[in-house]
Amino acid sequence: MTALIDEAGPAVSVRGLRRDFVRGGGLLSTHATVRAVDGVSFDVSHGEVLGIVGESGSGKSTLARLITGLLRPTAGDVRIAGRSLAEADRRQRARLIQQVFQDPYSSLNPTQRVRDIVALPLVAQGDVPREERARRVSEMLALVGLDPAVGERYPGQMSGGQRQRVAIARALVLKPRIVVCDEPTSALDVSVQAQILNLLQALRRELNLTLVFISHNLAVVEHIATHVAVMYLGRIVEAAPTAELFGSPRHPYTAALLQSVLTPEPGKGIPRIPLGEGFPDPAAIPPGCRFHPRCPSALPACADASPPLRVDAGHLVECILAPETASREATSQVHAGLGP
Amino acid sequence: MSVLAVQDLRVGFRDGTLAVRGISLDLGHGETLGLVGESGCGKSVTSLAVMGLLARGAARTAAGIRLAGEDIARASERRMAQLRGDRIAMIFQEPMTSLNPAYTVGDQLSEVYRRHRGAGRLQARDRAADLLARVGIANPGLRLAQYPHELSGGLRQRVMIAMALMCEPDVLIADEPTTALDVTVQAQILRLLQDLQKETGLAILLITHDLGVVARMADRVSVMYAGEIVESGTAEALFGRPMHPYTRGLLDSIPVPGKLRPGDQLKAIPGTVPRITAAFRGCGFRDRCGLADRGCEDTIMPREEGPQHRYLCRLSSELQGQAS
Ligand SMILES: Nc1ncnc2c1ncn2[C@@H]1O[C@H](COP(=O)(O)OP(=O)(O)O)[C@@H](O)[C@H]1O
Ligand SMILES: Nc1ncnc2c1ncn2[C@@H]1O[C@H](COP(=O)(O)OP(=O)(O)O)[C@@H](O)[C@H]1O
Ligand SMILES: [Mg+2]
Ligand SMILES: [Mg+2]
Repeated sequence: MTALIDEAGPAVSVRGLRRDFVRGGGLLSTHATVRAVDGVSFDVSHGEVLGIVGESGSGKSTLARLITGLLRPTAGDVRIAGRSLAEADRRQRARLIQQVFQDPYSSLNPTQRVRDIVALPLVAQGDVPREERARRVSEMLALVGLDPAVGERYPGQMSGGQRQRVAIARALVLKPRIVVCDEPTSALDVSVQAQILNLLQALRRELNLTLVFISHNLAVVEHIATHVAVMYLGRIVEAAPTAELFGSPRHPYTAALLQSVLTPEPGKGIPRIPLGEGFPDPAAIPPGCRFHPRCPSALPACADASPPLRVDAGHLVECILAPETASREATSQVHAGLGP
Repeated sequence: MSVLAVQDLRVGFRDGTLAVRGISLDLGHGETLGLVGESGCGKSVTSLAVMGLLARGAARTAAGIRLAGEDIARASERRMAQLRGDRIAMIFQEPMTSLNPAYTVGDQLSEVYRRHRGAGRLQARDRAADLLARVGIANPGLRLAQYPHELSGGLRQRVMIAMALMCEPDVLIADEPTTALDVTVQAQILRLLQDLQKETGLAILLITHDLGVVARMADRVSVMYAGEIVESGTAEALFGRPMHPYTRGLLDSIPVPGKLRPGDQLKAIPGTVPRITAAFRGCGFRDRCGLADRGCEDTIMPREEGPQHRYLCRLSSELQGQAS
């Protein structure tokens, strides 16, 4: 099992990832190709937390499913701890990387007891004896802060926060090094969200986990992530270490996102967001810079050519307006490492 | 003068749940009152009770629900149907709750105006186009002819707001109006509500679980927990000097950029909102509260922390200043 892990290289390495869907084709509509993820490359080092933000439809969940191998890419390659996902079989994949989903109500089978839900990945491995499975399940429930007695319950008898703990226990039972969390607290109340974020922080430290953490809540991402990538219409348009991205955003879209965060400060009012009404459609990606129709700073050139990728000390941005000083132009094939 | 005054509102369900336990709200012309609390605290039941839209089997009592002076607690269903959509309107988290997928945007907006105002077809169309423009929709003519499913989530939300405002109501009840939207669109919609309020003097009861939204929007805030208002005050007072342990717990549980150092733990509130029935006495928060003792099992008397700033806790004032 340990032979799977390459400790020296990145935990997650993604190159040129693309995923198309076919939409429509009903009686009245025609087929359209939806490019949900459109040329994404990045690395995540062991122990890091990569936060992914972006509005709904920007391709975050599709990217998550590509990274965990739940979905096959149209093009490109995902490597987990040095192993190509395309070459790994299901059981190997499950030991490398696991996922926690947004909705703790629909992601757990309501007809199964909690202990069976948590044990399922062990059962799927096919070679873990029954007593060993029971022991691991109790261990996992304790690890996520649940009384092992809840193993006898059904998901319907638990609160949203407890269910999300069950989902985390299930994700950790094979001891993966990498967990992808897709909006894990978005369906929860703030008090419960705090419990789950604290749990993920503690687990990350104890188990030296690498996390990919997707959320539309920028304050949550700022709290938990070491690095942040901003997605817009299927591409990562900006990525940087967390403090750097929040402190000096370079892409106009990132700036608009950050401006939109409503901190609980009375008297500050609602910011005016300088974005157009236009709503981004991955079935009709604008030519040139895909953000230009909504961009408050767009130049005529932005409609013509794809923006250059600029990289400066671990800060990536795809925008013609980004400062060129102290940066070097890179090709789209660049090794766009997010690690230090 | 208040346009909406709710006094001692109570709502119970057949299964014995007391969802609203004697709350009072007061909303002035041109004012925004935020009603905040976790899910299950009774916010939506409160708004439906005010609108007279509770499910069959729910029992509502109130000392009074006055809308622009008229006591609607005892109004007939026929009278309520006249007032709803005209003097008091409501918007929801999910715009399709109010929009009918089978009719065009133009037909639905016009219908409201024709029903309440007896307006003609053309006059109602003009009014609808006008309202769509007012809510920041770029091409009203095009949108009037479209069906709701042809619009993005943000546009649908704007259409729902336009529909609620067709008859220039005195009061708008907005129940989690931006919870399902992206943050950029949320900011645009909230900004729009503020602008419309300045123009028309609309009074807004803003229901949300999002403390950031309330802080930025509300003049005054009521914090709801287990069917009661546990604290209320101006936004400045409530966020600047939160008195109830539940209010403090909520504020401490949310991450705020720049407030914590990397790796710091958030302060979570243990446990969940209890279901409360008739036999219950005392503080509804005591099982989750770090301060609670036996005295919290008796009826709690309201305390004042300043003009208009009231809260329901017998212990927190002594501890204020120790930690927050
Ligand atoms: N199975 C699918 N079939 C067709 N289109 C899909 C499918 N999954 C996602 N999409 C489309 O891909 C785009 C990106 O979706 P998603 O990855 O869910 O975005 P996000 O998680 O950022 O909201 C959306 O336009 C969505 O409609
Ligand atoms: N029709 C109903 N029958 C029984 N209980 C209900 C009904 N509707 C709401 N409740 C209960 O009333 C309480 C308050 O619900 P609600 O007002 O929807 O909360 P909020 O809007 O604050 O999330 C909850 O405990 C809920 O389960
Ligand atoms: Mg998603
Ligand atoms: Mg509600």
